[in-house]
Amino acid sequence: MPEDLVIETNALTKLFGKQKALDSVSLAVAPGAIGLLGPNGAGKTTFMKCLLQLQPISSGSAKLLGREVGTEGREIRKRVGYTPEMDCHIPGMAGCEYVTYCAQLCGLPFQAARQRAHEMLDFVGMGQERYRKIDTYSTGMKQRLKLAQSIVHDPEIVFLDEPTNGLDPKGQAQILDLVQSLWHAYGITVIVSSHLLHDVEQICEQIIIIARGRVLVHDSLANLKARRRGWAEVVVPGRHEELEAACGRRQWPCKLLPNGHVKVEHNSESLNPLLQLLHEMKLAPLEIIPSPNALEETFVQALEISHAAA
Amino acid sequence: MPLHNINYKHWEGVHLGVWSRRWAIARNGLTACLKVRWMANLVVICWGVGLAAAAVLFLTGQLLVADSVIVRWVATFNPDLQSFANLLTLWLKDHPDISVGTTQNVLFYYFGSWLTVVSIFALGPIIPLLITRDLACNAIVIYSSKAVSRGDYLLGKFATAFGFLTLTWLGPVCAAWFLGNLLAPDWTFFWHARGALINILIYGVSSMAVLSLLALGVSALSSKEKATPFFWFLWWIFGWIVTPIAEHTEPWLRYLGFGFNLHQMELHTFRVGEKIQNMTDSIPVLGGILHMRETTRAALETPHIAGTCVALLIMLGLAAWIVHQRVKPE
Repeated sequence: MPEDLVIETNALTKLFGKQKALDSVSLAVAPGAIGLLGPNGAGKTTFMKCLLQLQPISSGSAKLLGREVGTEGREIRKRVGYTPEMDCHIPGMAGCEYVTYCAQLCGLPFQAARQRAHEMLDFVGMGQERYRKIDTYSTGMKQRLKLAQSIVHDPEIVFLDEPTNGLDPKGQAQILDLVQSLWHAYGITVIVSSHLLHDVEQICEQIIIIARGRVLVHDSLANLKARRRGWAEVVVPGRHEELEAACGRRQWPCKLLPNGHVKVEHNSESLNPLLQLLHEMKLAPLEIIPSPNALEETFVQALEISHAAA
Repeated sequence: MPLHNINYKHWEGVHLGVWSRRWAIARNGLTACLKVRWMANLVVICWGVGLAAAAVLFLTGQLLVADSVIVRWVATFNPDLQSFANLLTLWLKDHPDISVGTTQNVLFYYFGSWLTVVSIFALGPIIPLLITRDLACNAIVIYSSKAVSRGDYLLGKFATAFGFLTLTWLGPVCAAWFLGNLLAPDWTFFWHARGALINILIYGVSSMAVLSLLALGVSALSSKEKATPFFWFLWWIFGWIVTPIAEHTEPWLRYLGFGFNLHQMELHTFRVGEKIQNMTDSIPVLGGILHMRETTRAALETPHIAGTCVALLIMLGLAAWIVHQRVKPE
């Protein structure tokens, strides 16, 4: 239902000179944990910035939380949090001062802002280092601080731009765990922009894949993972001709690849018919490589579009 | 143990209005300025000067009363002084607007001039704290992503500069006026000195506003923290050097320095030449004491206010354009 949508865009276009950073993006996004996936330069950050009014929209329209972007910017930003990709702290401030200040900028009274800042710093796992100047923080601490400042005013939706950049695997897991909890435990819609499929796959339930400013796909993670093309590569110890003949009888196109694998187009989203055939033939495969799911395939397609453009 | 073992809590309070957010920006800026130790010391010095000015007013007031402690004490060394004080007392009774009003007007003109210089100097080091630093570390993005607009941000930064100037300039001068008249021999001093206070407020507020806006423009010029104070002092010193030279060559060049323009504003507001002329006209005996050279009198009586207004409008327009171009989320 439209009133449930957090983001609605209609032919949203952003031009930088003659170059289209966003090309007629039309989306209707429901609340949840949403992954904005695409290679570097795909337009993910520009999309977020247009919604937050950090970049003016060239044409088209956009609504965030039911309000028109462009005319109700301040009202929208009161209910929205943003974690930018780059560092953007204020030098000379301690971590807790910075988060308190950010809360005040969102309209919280000073005392409440200070209390809430400490709660959020606890939540993101920052200890006594909150009293140190931000200039001395490690990348991981800065990422946590950015997350704390983006949720300190209790937003309804949080935009996270590459939240795991520069983190070690443990730090990445911790941040992803936190982000995931925002939607699953506390009902705050999160939009995670990333060029890492693994990160997005881990925490998001809706996926938007962007390449060259265009949306390639917007669907639920479950649907994308379930959707596959009906082919697989089968690795068998000999008996290639026999397998090809059996596939031919079922009218499944089949061919022997140079690497010795047999590619079978079984025309089904499930591998069961193929397994059934192998069982009937009493042929034990060494390996069956299913076709990539729609998520992987579209992501690869996005990468290829991006490389082709470069 | 998960990292977020401490639960997130939803905020259920009431959000304050936009003015509280602007105030938060201004307060944060002022706190950052006063955290610099020598800036805090400078504020203390300015308030010390204010107290000294109050003491001067107190002494001036005491001289206008024949039986005051000071006159009696001085008369023990020189009895003629008692007669002079009697004369001043009569003058006070006959021309209170001149004896109190004009005296304080002239005194505050000089306090104002001195504190203008101090304030221009004090603004230099705080210029990076206004916009430069935010440009350098991309903090503009954070402001822009919160519930504040670019206008709110600039208003907060303007209030930072204006607030700091209030601490170094308007605050001490107004305190001096109040204390000086509070310690005066007669409550009517407050009434007779009202003109001086109005002039202080008009000149103080308008020139502080001009200086704050110019400081914002210079602060937005670069994202290098050392560059913007350099530009500020360079501009100030340039004006300082050019003004006396331009008087004898190309007079319009004087308007390029903001110091000259502020001085013209001050002359126009306080009308010192006119007031001194009135004083000497009404009490001829003062003509000898307050004798001025014709050139000095002419300079005091005819401030170049039209040229100043044009020059300041151009400067402010330029500052606004720089700020508009530079203060963007990207």
